[in-house]
Amino acid sequence: MATDKIAVSGFRHVFQTEAGPVQATGTIDLTIQPGEFVTLVGPSGCGKTTLLKAIAGFIQPSEGTILCDGKPIKGPGRDRGVVFQELAILPWRTVRRNIGHGLEIAGASKAERDKTVARLIDLMSLTGFEDRYPHELSGGMKQRVAVARTWAADPEIILMDEPFAAVDAMTRLTLQEELARLCAATGKTVFFITHSVEEAIFLADRVLVMTRRPGTIKAELAVPRRNAGGRDWDSFTADPEMRDIAEKVMHLVHAERV
Amino acid sequence: MRLLRELRILLPFIVLIALWWAIKVGAQVSDTMLVAPPAVWDAFVHLVTHGILAEYAASSLYLIGVAALISFGIGVPLGFAVGANRYAARALEPFLRFFQGISGIAWLPLAILWFGFTHTTTLVIVIYTLVVPIVFNTMVGVRAIPENYVLALQSLGAGRLRIVRDVYLPGALPSIVVGTRLGMGYGWRALIASEMLVRQGGLGDLIFGARTFNQIDRIMVGMIAIGCLYIVVDRLLVQPVESMTLARWGLLRQ
Repeated sequence: MATDKIAVSGFRHVFQTEAGPVQATGTIDLTIQPGEFVTLVGPSGCGKTTLLKAIAGFIQPSEGTILCDGKPIKGPGRDRGVVFQELAILPWRTVRRNIGHGLEIAGASKAERDKTVARLIDLMSLTGFEDRYPHELSGGMKQRVAVARTWAADPEIILMDEPFAAVDAMTRLTLQEELARLCAATGKTVFFITHSVEEAIFLADRVLVMTRRPGTIKAELAVPRRNAGGRDWDSFTADPEMRDIAEKVMHLVHAERV
Repeated sequence: MRLLRELRILLPFIVLIALWWAIKVGAQVSDTMLVAPPAVWDAFVHLVTHGILAEYAASSLYLIGVAALISFGIGVPLGFAVGANRYAARALEPFLRFFQGISGIAWLPLAILWFGFTHTTTLVIVIYTLVVPIVFNTMVGVRAIPENYVLALQSLGAGRLRIVRDVYLPGALPSIVVGTRLGMGYGWRALIASEMLVRQGGLGDLIFGARTFNQIDRIMVGMIAIGCLYIVVDRLLVQPVESMTLARWGLLRQ
């Protein structure tokens, strides 16, 4: 039997604050299979970021276990890449050096680094911006660099925490299509958090819906893959089955409005 | 255009000199109170040709240079140590503010008792004056680095040393530059003050000594030299670092 890429069982987290303990999540169980794109959609404050941070190894769960390839998670590591909502690329590094940072840390040769960086610059439509600094780029471009940096380090699984939430609506559509293409091209396992129903379905192989705080997973829906190259918005919106799934998820999410 | 820009920088100085001259001549101020610009120029020529100004200025520049190096060596690591630890930073903030309030000059009586009328006294005063803003600003800079930068690097497999080198050092640099710049300003003033009391050379010694013989022209040459040298030090040391790094990274806070 193949091991799950990620197996969360009996996870529950409580934050200790000065005002006393705050329950961040309910009890959560989930698994993510290798090569799968799983999205988690839920109302704000439901604890989805807490769950992602625990998988990333930034926080230790109050209860339950999280396994990555069958081994318990002890802290952050290069096997689990993270793309944040707020920009986390370094302003003092050029696009090229930001994207190659993971490989630099891993001690890869310059030739190998250049090759990987060139490929990702091409995949993420960043050609011509290799030697620019982040402050010279638009918000959408900066987020492309963040995505490319995570992919370049070649982690086992990529955790994305509302990465496109701060980007304007038009750019977001492009970034989503690019991400879909990138995943199709690289076959990475991805765990993606969002509060946008359309985004969750568009990107996913499987959508998980969370309840409001303290969040638990109330439903999961499979989203069939249509073509090998990744989805695009034109065919997605024209697909009646996708519309059905969207409607179902919308109902589930609306019941959790706060 | 370039000439025009330079003229714009010099304009306030020209106005000031004109005003000074006008007051001197117009109000017939006696030479024991104020001398005219040409007299100051003559004194300047005299001090330069006899190598006196160079000697006193060299002493001041040497001391500020040594003090700056030592302060940087102490202040930056200390600022990092404090800034990296949230509890230490909270505990030490009032402490550092307290010492920010006690100027270097206020330490002079004690320092003179401990080290006598020596260069050591001046060095201690200037280092103290420089270290506090450097520690404080380095600490603030380290604490202002977004946590995500660190988390992202940990997820790329970076260890502690790598995070210090790739995140904390460049991230705190703008603040370190601000701290050093402030420190150099304070330190230069403390240096002159200390030299006036210690009387072992330096521009402070020059102007205080000139007072004994009512050499107003010398006092003013010394004061002008103090101002000019500060601009030179700032231009030569701090501004190149700023344009090399911060401006290029888009981090310069205007």
